[in-house]
Amino acid sequence: MATFTLPKNSKIGDGKTYAAPSGATNVRSFSIYRWDPDSEATPRRDTYKIDLDNCGPMVLDALIKIKNEIDGSLTFRRSCREGICGSCAMNIDGTNTLACLKPIEDVTGDVKINPLPHLPVVKDLVPDLSQLYAQYRSVEPWLKSDTPPPPDEERRQSKEERAKLDGMWECILCFCCSTACPSYWWNGDRFLGPAVLLAAYRWIADSRDERTGERLDALEDPFRLYRCHTIMNCTNTCPKGLNPAKAIGSIKQMMVERQG
Amino acid sequence: MNTETDSALRLQSPLGRVRGMGSARAGTHHWWMQRVTSIGLLPLTLWFALSAVSLAGASYAEALAWIGSPFNAVLLIATLLLSFHHTNAGLQVVIEDYVHVPGARIAALLAVKAVCGLLAIASVLAVLRIAV
Repeated sequence: MATFTLPKNSKIGDGKTYAAPSGATNVRSFSIYRWDPDSEATPRRDTYKIDLDNCGPMVLDALIKIKNEIDGSLTFRRSCREGICGSCAMNIDGTNTLACLKPIEDVTGDVKINPLPHLPVVKDLVPDLSQLYAQYRSVEPWLKSDTPPPPDEERRQSKEERAKLDGMWECILCFCCSTACPSYWWNGDRFLGPAVLLAAYRWIADSRDERTGERLDALEDPFRLYRCHTIMNCTNTCPKGLNPAKAIGSIKQMMVERQG
Repeated sequence: MNTETDSALRLQSPLGRVRGMGSARAGTHHWWMQRVTSIGLLPLTLWFALSAVSLAGASYAEALAWIGSPFNAVLLIATLLLSFHHTNAGLQVVIEDYVHVPGARIAALLAVKAVCGLLAIASVLAVLRIAV
C-alpha cells in the first residue's frame, strides 16, 4: 500500500534556533529542514532569525546569507540565481518552487523550507534526482529523424510548426512539478511524472521529428502515462509558468486519435 | 516496480529500473471508455433522477408499469450497464494507484470485476423480468 506516514527514522524533531543580530528591527524566522547522512540523528528543523534589512529580496538570498554568515553546514543546490538552471528547487511555504524566484515578502509568517517532497534526501535541502534523470533519459529527448538534413542547411520549420514548441522548450527540469504530483508520489517508480511527459511531448510535437509513433508507443502504458488524473498540481506549482497538464492531455488525445 | 522487497539490495541502474518491463501498449481504451461512459451517464443520470422524483408517491403497480414501458426499460438498462462499467473502471484506477503488493492488486482487481459484473447482470435481469 501507499505509505501515508513517515517512517520512524524520518520523523522531524526540533533543532537549534539562531537568534537575530542585536539591533535588528526587520526580523524574519526561517525554519529549515536539516538532515546529515553522516550523523546518527533523525532530521530536525533549525530556525534562523534573519535581519531582512541586511539581506537580498529572495529566499535564496537568505539561504546564502545563512550559509555564509551563520551556519556553513547548511546544504542546498544553487547556481544561476535567476531561474534558468533549476538547481534551487525546494518546498517553500508549502509550495514547490525555485528559491531564487521566490520573494521573501510573498511568505506570511515564518518561512518554512523543506526539500522537494517524496524524494530520497542526500543532505538537508538536496534531494536525490537520479530516478527523475533516468526517466528523462528514457523518453530519448533528442531529435530522431531518418531523413538527412538538407546539405549545408538546417532542418526547416515553419513559424507555425515552431510555435507548437512554445511552453515546452522553456522547461528547466527543476522537477517542482513531478514532486508536487500525488500520482508521482505513490507510483513514481513507474509513472513518468509531469516534467518527463512534458519533455516527451516536446519531441512528439516537433515537426522535424519522425518517430512520433514510436514515442507514443513507449508512453502508452497504464502507469507511464495514465497515472495522470489531471490533478493539476504540476501546472499550479511550475515556477516557469508552464502547463505540463496540458501537454499530458495532448498526448492522451493523440493516443485516442491514432486508434481510428 | 514493486516486485522486490524494499530491503533488498538493488544495484540495477536507475535507467534499467525505469525502463523496467517496457510499455504495456495499453491503457488508452480503458481511459477513453471511462470518459465515454461518464459523458453517457450525464443525461442518463439526470433522466433517472427526474423519473424517480416523478414516481414519488406512485403505487407499486404504477412503478411496475413505468419500468415495463419499453422506452423506460431500454434507458434503465443503459444506465445500469454504463454505471457498473464506470464503477469498475474507476475502482480499477484507485486500486492501481494505491495497492502495490502484486498479488493483492490482481486479487482486488478481479474481485471488483466480479462484483460489478454480477451486480450488472442481476440488475438487468430484474428490469427484463418486469419489462418482458
